[in-house]
Amino acid sequence: MNIPRPRSWMQWGRRLCQAVFLLLFVWLVLVTRLYDEGEAPPLLSVFFELNPLIALVKWISARTIATGLLLALLTIVGTLILGRVFCGWVCPFGAFHHLVAWFRKRPEASALPEDRSIWQRGKYLVLVVLLVMAVFGVHWIGILDPLALFYRSLAVVAYPAAQYAVDDASTSIFQADPSIGSFEITSVSEPAYRFMRDRVFRVGRQAFVGGATIGLIFLGLAGLNFVKPRFWCRYVCPLGGLLGLVSIRPSLRLVRDEDTCNECGRCGRACPAAAQPHKHGEWLPTECYVCWNCVAACNFKGLSFAFESPLSRPKVGSLDLSRRAVIAAGIGGFAGLFAFRLTPHAQGQIYPPDLVRPPGSRPEREFLQRCIQCGVCMRGCPTNALHPAGFFEAGIEGLWTPMVVAKRGYCQHTCNQCGIICPTGAIQPLSLEEKQSTSIGLAFFDTTRCLPYAFNRECIICEEHCPVTPKAITFVTREIEIGDGQTQMIRQPQVDPDQCIGCGICEWSCVFSDRAAIRITSAGESRHSRNQPILPSFGPY
Amino acid sequence: MKKSTRRDFLKQSALATGALAAAGRLAIAEDAASPVDMCIAKWEGDPDALTELATRLTEEAIEAIGGMGRFVNQGDVIWVKPNIAWDHSPEYAANTNPDVVKTLVRLCFDAGARQVKVGDNPCHQWERTYRNSGIADAAREAGADVIHVDRSRFRDMEIGGGRLQTHPVYPEIVESDLVINVPVAKHHGSTTVTLCMKNYMGVVENRGVFHQDLPSCIRDITAFMKPRISVLDAIRVLTANGPTGGNLDDVRRMDTVAAGTDVVALDAFGCELLGHDPHTIDTVTYGHEAGLGEIDFRDKLNVREMTIS
Repeated sequence: MNIPRPRSWMQWGRRLCQAVFLLLFVWLVLVTRLYDEGEAPPLLSVFFELNPLIALVKWISARTIATGLLLALLTIVGTLILGRVFCGWVCPFGAFHHLVAWFRKRPEASALPEDRSIWQRGKYLVLVVLLVMAVFGVHWIGILDPLALFYRSLAVVAYPAAQYAVDDASTSIFQADPSIGSFEITSVSEPAYRFMRDRVFRVGRQAFVGGATIGLIFLGLAGLNFVKPRFWCRYVCPLGGLLGLVSIRPSLRLVRDEDTCNECGRCGRACPAAAQPHKHGEWLPTECYVCWNCVAACNFKGLSFAFESPLSRPKVGSLDLSRRAVIAAGIGGFAGLFAFRLTPHAQGQIYPPDLVRPPGSRPEREFLQRCIQCGVCMRGCPTNALHPAGFFEAGIEGLWTPMVVAKRGYCQHTCNQCGIICPTGAIQPLSLEEKQSTSIGLAFFDTTRCLPYAFNRECIICEEHCPVTPKAITFVTREIEIGDGQTQMIRQPQVDPDQCIGCGICEWSCVFSDRAAIRITSAGESRHSRNQPILPSFGPY
Repeated sequence: MKKSTRRDFLKQSALATGALAAAGRLAIAEDAASPVDMCIAKWEGDPDALTELATRLTEEAIEAIGGMGRFVNQGDVIWVKPNIAWDHSPEYAANTNPDVVKTLVRLCFDAGARQVKVGDNPCHQWERTYRNSGIADAAREAGADVIHVDRSRFRDMEIGGGRLQTHPVYPEIVESDLVINVPVAKHHGSTTVTLCMKNYMGVVENRGVFHQDLPSCIRDITAFMKPRISVLDAIRVLTANGPTGGNLDDVRRMDTVAAGTDVVALDAFGCELLGHDPHTIDTVTYGHEAGLGEIDFRDKLNVREMTIS
C-alpha cells in the first residue's frame, strides 16, 4: 500500500528556521574578518549571548555577570515553556548535525523505533564535570560548548580550507599557464579566482597552527551522525544537557490520541533524539528537540504538540540520571581540575615563553576564566597573528585559547580589533593609545642566526619594520675581526626593552622563514606584574 | 609597437633640438614651452590648502617635463606605483600623498590612457594599508582601478642584474605600457633615504634578501623596470624613524613635488632635501655607476625649479 508522505507546516517551518540561523552563523563567521577598524560586526555575539551555558559558567568561574545576560535568560525562559526548541530550531551546530544526518539511510519500515539509551546521560555528566570545574575557577566550556566549537571549527578549519583550495588550485594553473591551442586556461580561471578572492572571501587567506587537530575533531563529530543521528546533541552536548534539565516539565507537550494510534512506530523511527514519542507516557521532554518529525510522521494525525498548564504533572518519562553517576562526574571534574593544574605553568610559577597573548588579555587565570576558545579573535585578526594554542604552549586548561604566532602574523600596531570583538571580555577592549603602550612580550635576538652577528652580513629588515617611535631596534656599529688582522665595520641590531612592546613584526619580517633570528616571548608582558625581568632604564617601575 | 602622435613628434623634435644645442655648447634659453628633464615645484602659497597644493605642484611639474602626453599614448594601460607600504594615515608621511596619486591618475586619463591601475605590495596587511593610506579612495575617485597585488600571483623573472638574477616580480605591473613611479621622500634606517629607486621594491616579492645588499638589489630592480617617469612626493617628509614612521614630530612639511625622467637625478635631489650629500648615498651612487642617471643633475640635466603659489 502506497502511503502518501505526510506533511507538516511546522516541520517545514522548523527547517526554515534552522536554515536561517545556520546561514546567519556561517555568514557571521565570514564577515568577522571584514571588520578591522575598531568596529564589531553587528550581531556577532548574539549566539554567544543567547547561550545560557556560557553565561552560567562565566558567572560561576569568573564571578561576573555576562553581558547580554537577558538573551541567555530568554533562552532559559523559552526552554521552560517550550522545551528544547533552542536545540531543534535555533542552534546552528544542531542544524549542521541535522543536515549531515539527512544523508543517512532512512530506517527500514520494519525497524523497531529507537528507545532511549543509557548513554544519553553523557551530556548531563559532561555538564556536571564542567560546572564542578567552574566552581574552582577552571573551565573547558569552550572546548565543548556547541556554539564556540562550531565557530572555532568554521573559522579555523572550514573557511581557511575552502579558501586554500580555491587559491592553491588557481595559483597552480596561473604558474603553469597551460593552454589548449590558442585558448589560455587562465583567461577563465583568473577571473573566477578574482571573483572568489574579491567578492566572496574578500580577505587574505588564513592558516592556523593547530588547525589540523580541530579539523579532524570537527570531521569526526560530523561523521558520528552516521552512527546515530545528531550524535553530538544526544550524547555529548553540555548545552543540550543544561537545556534538558530546564525542560523537565515544559508547557508545550507531545499529546497523543490513543484512539487513533496503531502502534506503527513511525514516530519513533522519525525521532532524531531518541525521545520515545512512540512509548505510552514515556515521551522524554528532556531529550526532545520539538522538531515536529514525529507529528509529521504519523499517518493518522495522532500526535500533536499542545500547551498544558505548567502546574499539571506531565505523563512523561523521567530524566535518567543516576545519583552515583552524577557524584562520579563531580569527583571526575574535581580530579580533572587538579590534572589541569599539575604543571608549573598552570600554577603560575613560571611563564610559558611562547604563550604571547593578544593585547588587552587579562592576567592568565582571569583570562582562562573568561575565554571560551571560540576563535572570534583568530578569525578577526587581520594579520593572522592569533592561533589556537596547544597543550605545550598553554597547558591543558588553555587548549585552543589565542596566542600570537609571530612568524606567521604580527600584532598590527594600528589595530585593536581582538579586544573589540572578543565576546567574553577575556581580551579587554583597548583604545589604540592604550594598545600601543601595552606590551605583549619582548623581542630577543638570536645571535647565532642573525646575519650581522652570525655571518657578518648587513641586514636591517627588522629595524625597518619596527613600528614604535623611537624604534625599539637600534644599531651599534662594531669593528669586528675577519681574519688576517683585517677588520670590518658592521652594524649590529639590538633591542631596547624600554621601547619594545612585543608586537612581533620583527620576527615576522626576519629573513629566516623557518626560525626567525629575532623572536618574541612573553617576557615583560604588561598583564603580569611578575613577568617583568627588566627594570626600565628610567622612570617609575 | 607604439604609434607616435604628431604631438610626440613635435616634442621629440624639440628635445632633439635641445640636445643639439647643448652639444654645441649653446646657451639654452629658458623657454617655458620646451620640456625639461626634471622639474622641481615648490609651494609658496597657503600651506593649509593641502589638496590644492598637492594637485597644483603635480600638474605643474608634469607639465614642465612635457606633460603626460609625452609618456602616455592613446589607449595605454598605465600602472601608477605609489609607496603604499605602511598602515598609516597620510599625515604620517609613511606613504605617498593621495592627492598626488589622484592627480597623476587624472592626467593619465586626460592624455588618453585606457586604464590606470594603482597598486603596491605593502609591507603591512594590504587592505588596511590601502584604505588607511587614503590612496585607494583617492585613486578610485579619479577613475583608477585599485589593484590588489596578490602575493600568489608573482612570477619569477630574469632580472639579469649584477646581484639579482632571477626574482619574483608582479607580472601585471611589468606588462603595463607605462609605470609611473611615485614615491614619498622618507628617512630610512638602512639606506638613509628611501626615494624613487627604492620604491621599486614594491613590484617584487621575497624582499627579505634585498636587505643584505640593498643598494645593489635596488639598482638591479630599477634597471629591470626601465624607469621612464618618476614623481617624487616631498610634500610631507618623514625625517626620522623611517620608513615606517608613526610619530607626527618626525614629519616635516617641504611642500615640494619633483618630476623627471631621470630616476637617479630625482633621488639625488631627494637626498639634498633630506640633508644628505647624494655622493654618500649608496643607492644613488650605484645607480649612477650603472648608467641609470646623473647624480650631478644640476650640471648635467636640464632642470627647472619653480615656485608656485
